Amino acid sequence: MTFFARLRQSVENVLAAFCVFLMTAMFVLVVVAVAYRELGASLTWYDEVATVLLAWLTYYGAALAALKRAHLGSPEVLRAMPMMLRLPLFVLSEVLVVGFFVLLAWTGLQAMLLLAGDTLISLPVVSVQFTQSVIPIGATLFILGELLSIPQEWRSLQHVPVAGEEMIERLS
Amino acid sequence: MSTLLMLLGMVALVLINVPIAIAIGLVALAGTIAAHGTDDMLNLALTMYEGARSFPLLAIPLFVLAGGIMNAGGISQRLINFCMALLGSIRGGLAMVSIGAAMFFAEISGSAVADVAALGSILIPGMKRKGYPAEFAAATNSSAASLAIIIPPSIPMILYGTIANVSVVQLFVSGVVPGLIGGFGLMGAAYWYARRYNFPIEQAFSLGQLWRAFREAAWAFLLPVIILGGIFGGFVTATEGAGLAVLAALFVGGVIYREYDLRFLYKLTVDGAVQTAVVMLLIATSAVLGLHLTEAKVPQMVAQGLIDLTSNRYAVLAVLNILFFVLGFFLHSAAAIILVVPIVMPLVHLVGIDPVHFGIIVTLNLAIGQQTPPVASVLITSCSIAKTDIWATSRWNLPYVAVLIAVLLLVTYVPMTAMALVDLFYR
Repeated sequence: MTFFARLRQSVENVLAAFCVFLMTAMFVLVVVAVAYRELGASLTWYDEVATVLLAWLTYYGAALAALKRAHLGSPEVLRAMPMMLRLPLFVLSEVLVVGFFVLLAWTGLQAMLLLAGDTLISLPVVSVQFTQSVIPIGATLFILGELLSIPQEWRSLQHVPVAGEEMIERLS
Repeated sequence: MSTLLMLLGMVALVLINVPIAIAIGLVALAGTIAAHGTDDMLNLALTMYEGARSFPLLAIPLFVLAGGIMNAGGISQRLINFCMALLGSIRGGLAMVSIGAAMFFAEISGSAVADVAALGSILIPGMKRKGYPAEFAAATNSSAASLAIIIPPSIPMILYGTIANVSVVQLFVSGVVPGLIGGFGLMGAAYWYARRYNFPIEQAFSLGQLWRAFREAAWAFLLPVIILGGIFGGFVTATEGAGLAVLAALFVGGVIYREYDLRFLYKLTVDGAVQTAVVMLLIATSAVLGLHLTEAKVPQMVAQGLIDLTSNRYAVLAVLNILFFVLGFFLHSAAAIILVVPIVMPLVHLVGIDPVHFGIIVTLNLAIGQQTPPVASVLITSCSIAKTDIWATSRWNLPYVAVLIAVLLLVTYVPMTAMALVDLFYR
């Protein structure tokens, strides 16, 4: 296994493990909150923390989806184009995607600076800077996932698959 | 004009393989900069963070997870065994079993792709072995799986409810009767095929066998009672019902049936996280676009433009049905809801259409859209399991799609079909 392949696998494993942790935490939180409510002792911080977990799952999961090239898109048109058009348009699309997340990471950092001192309403021990950190960190991880999966995506764009081939790959 | 340019820009970006979520974010950002300069760019991070923080949407990862756990825990196999004992004696029995099992599975899963992956991977190879044409097997399982988003719980309904600010519970209830009509209609179409092509009868009906299969599947039948009973009874919200679905599925699969493979469970959870993130990123970038379109008063302009042509409720519904039907060919269901619903909601309110009624109409359109290529996630999954050509399978799928369209028209023009239960219990 090459260094590049090992790096890609390591990033995928870490992101996958963190996403499983977030999914499990969300499930446990919802069930525990229902149990507490039925016992007459509602958790005041439940809604706010649960939605923070969802936002975290959105961005860490999106980075994992970028690595797996699982985001909804339409590669068919690009695949049907002649090679002399396909390569520059592929590069353009990658530049646009990475550029968007560079901008998101930068604005996320600026927003964190603005929010210094703010805390969650129902759980004042947790700072908003900590919860909002998902935007710059998630955006950076998205860029990493996108860059690490470029060779695989380019290979897949070089041939026209038979119907459902990608889905078979994913299901297997 | 700028909105039209944004739309064209978005189409161009998607055509060069920019993911839809990011294409939406890019054009929204360009629109914001064009309107307000770079001063408002800080809002990008804040809006995208808040866009992903919605309590009702927590139900999506939990229902996705519940569906995966139920499949891994042997629940789908037991549902199939029960349906085989119940419906296997009818001509074309395996096709009936596919539809019947999909109707049961739909009550515990809210995703049609999860449904076809869970049931189709068992039933399609079985149908092929029994001599059914592979395209017929793929078409039957694909259309049957679409019931998963009509019969509650339903992930598209959760999305619609959140975006249109409508009760998810009422949306769930509105799907019960159309889902049942659709299921029995699909069975009718399968029976017509079975008579025409002389498909086999699987087994003679036996009450003893049915009882044994029912006892085996009894715990699986308890799941919808717990999930839907809890939600409809008002004991838990849809999100909490999804959490209970995961808990119940873990209990039934792990303690009762004892069929869990932890490694498979881990993989399913990762897949669920990715599926959720794909939809949620779309929602987050759409929040940026929504803000821009609202400032530009685009939804109001669309509403006024159409009202100038006609204010007849049924004519407007016809136009919206055609719009969603055409979009179904080219857009994934989550993208269709997220992009179109916020724009058409002012129109829906203006002509006096009940938003719950409109929600079930949108859902039915998306169920049809999942069957119409080139963008047809459920059909493509089914074809990939059956190893069939999408277009050849689509020909076999035509009668099934016709049934779904008939249900759509019935629900659109006889609102009572979907709304009677909602009116009875909630109004």
